[in-house]
Amino acid sequence: MNRFFSFVKVASFILLSVVFFSCHKNGTVEEITIKKNGNILFQFTHLNNGNELLFDTMIYRTSTGNQYMINDLQYFISGFQVHRAKDKWIQIVSDKGIHYIDAQDKSTFLWKVTDGIPPGVYDSVSFIFGLDAANNISFRFPDPPERDMFWPEILGGGYHYMKMNLKWKNNSMTDPMPFMFHLGIGQMYNGDSTNTDSIIGYIQNYFTIKSFSPFAIKDNQLTRINLIMNIEKWFDSQNAFNFSDYPMGIMQNQLGMYRACMNGRKAFAMKNEQ
Amino acid sequence: MMFVLMITILSSCKKKEDQTTTYTPTPYAIQIPLRFPSLLNIPKDNPMTQEGIELGRYLFYDGRLSGRTDPDSMMSCSTCHIQSNSFVCGIDHPKFKGGHPFGITGIPTSHYMLPMINLVWNTTGYLWNGAIYPGNPDIQSRNLEDIVRLVMTIPQEMYADTNRVKILFQQLNGYPGLFQKAFGSDVITIKNMGKAIAQFVRTLISANSKFDRFMRGEVQLNSEELDGYVLFMTEQGGDCFHCHGGDGNPLFTTNLCYNNGKDSVFTDPLDHYSVTKNSMDIGAYKAPTLRNLAFTAPYMHDGRFKTIDEVIDFYSSGLVWSPSISPLMHHLRTGGVQLTPIKKAHLKAFLLTLTDSSFVINPAFGRPAKLPD
Ligand code: HEC
Ligand code: HEC
Repeated sequence: MNRFFSFVKVASFILLSVVFFSCHKNGTVEEITIKKNGNILFQFTHLNNGNELLFDTMIYRTSTGNQYMINDLQYFISGFQVHRAKDKWIQIVSDKGIHYIDAQDKSTFLWKVTDGIPPGVYDSVSFIFGLDAANNISFRFPDPPERDMFWPEILGGGYHYMKMNLKWKNNSMTDPMPFMFHLGIGQMYNGDSTNTDSIIGYIQNYFTIKSFSPFAIKDNQLTRINLIMNIEKWFDSQNAFNFSDYPMGIMQNQLGMYRACMNGRKAFAMKNEQ
Repeated sequence: MMFVLMITILSSCKKKEDQTTTYTPTPYAIQIPLRFPSLLNIPKDNPMTQEGIELGRYLFYDGRLSGRTDPDSMMSCSTCHIQSNSFVCGIDHPKFKGGHPFGITGIPTSHYMLPMINLVWNTTGYLWNGAIYPGNPDIQSRNLEDIVRLVMTIPQEMYADTNRVKILFQQLNGYPGLFQKAFGSDVITIKNMGKAIAQFVRTLISANSKFDRFMRGEVQLNSEELDGYVLFMTEQGGDCFHCHGGDGNPLFTTNLCYNNGKDSVFTDPLDHYSVTKNSMDIGAYKAPTLRNLAFTAPYMHDGRFKTIDEVIDFYSSGLVWSPSISPLMHHLRTGGVQLTPIKKAHLKAFLLTLTDSSFVINPAFGRPAKLPD
């Protein structure tokens, strides 16, 4: 296994150098000189109504009166950029620029970016929730746990942006029922959504989050950026979610995914600490 | 007298020399089929070698592993794990009625069988309840090597006296030399037996079903199979892929445990809960690979379904609620995925495209023509 891992390290090093080169050639991207300095540590936190997210306990409620518990939460974040002066940005390419988070696996909560960001004052950070079209390539992750996020080819392929598995009930139900709050590429149907023959096109549902709050990257310092997901916002910001509106789930219901992703734009907050 | 002594000294010297020169095992690299994981579950202290695998294959098929030599009471891995059935004993086994095996003592195994397919890619947990996993605080329960020791000792299987096994194999002419070649020592240990068998088991790879060939662009699925494939892969269809993999996961298992909604009362003390002590894992078991289902009846940890049709009927309309049912069983409100008879037939047709007949006759996995004596 160790040998395997060192192979991966070597392989990803080679890959990284390739990426750096291509960045260099691309005129719009600032040249990155690899330094040990100016590293960023992203830290991921999951809250519900301001408190640490608890799993498997029926203690949450939507504004529509659904009680719910969260059982699993896994998602991708990608395309991190740090920005300064207009039109100048630096794309973070550590780990191919994609980070997988399992909210029940603390080892995924920290992402240390080893790009060596040039020191200076930056005015914002942005990232993509999920994977953009260029990065959402089927079969790119052969290994678990990322592999298990795959999104079926027939439904658009690539990977789930997020799997949030939950159970919910309303006042007329006795037992909590499963709900899969799964997001990824949507489909356009010309007719019945249970019939994949009527798919006439696909819709990218990923979105970009940008946070403006100036921060400094200094030589020999680690800048911590805390990324918070406020779970309740997924169900209650722009569109109040009622789980009973989606008896078949939302993977094949673009309206459902659209509403969820509109809410998702409000679900993230960023804080940076020195 | 002096002469005799000298000869023995000489010959023992010679033997020593041989020992150092003969231990040059040939490394064996697993060929990774298209889109299979690159991450292999091979412990650092047991690298795969041609010699290790060859020895492992002999041991896998050798009934003397049970420490017994009487043909009626010998037991090997292959007594239960039979290649022609994708390494389960089979529902029509003459001795193990209905496919439920029992050990030398007559005590039945706690669960029905699991096939041995692509186990080198299981990085999360072996056995139905996932009790054997890397990183287990119990260092004796981490990998295939440990399963061998377990099998040898428990009354549900070989119930062997491991000292006797060691002595027995040490005395057989053929084996010490094979251990020498595989591990650099002709002293036979249970540990090295475990290592060798584990190496052999890691070579049991199936990646040549019709579906594999379809994914490689070599064959086309017929319209029933294609429809079944879509059912398998869609949330509003059969919704099987979340737990059993599919186009993005050619193992056809996540190797994770779920409660798939068969019961509302749970009495088996060896479910996944027994491993994690998390109440959400009550009644949860590993979602097994769906490869080679054609050979592996009966189905589920308790063998409750005799046919694939019964399994599909269950997912279609037989789900029952329990507090620990997996949140991925989201068709629970309607009792299941509600497939029409035609859709059921198509789903089954797709499942049968996962049949790899070359696996069950691959000579490299079969019984050696002759065991060492
Ligand atoms: C008496 C029948 C019997 C014998 C003999 C036997 N097994 Fe098994 N084996 C089983 C059963 C039953 C299971 C499923 C047990 C469970 O998970 O509860 C199993 C499970 C396994 C698994 C787990 C597969 C998975 O996907 O997790 C492995 C590996 C295995 N056996 C290897 C061996 C080896 C190696 C030998 C010989 C040393 C052996 N078995 C001998 C009956 C047997
Ligand atoms: C929530 C996860 C989940 C989903 C969804 C799911 N399964 Fe399973 N499946 C399991 C688990 C867990 C088992 C083993 C349960 C046990 O042994 O008690 C299993 C067992 C099976 C088996 C028996 C395999 C064997 O070797 O015994 C078959 C066949 C099967 N599932 C087919 C399907 C099909 C077809 C679908 C879609 C209609 C499906 N499953 C959906 C989790 C799932």
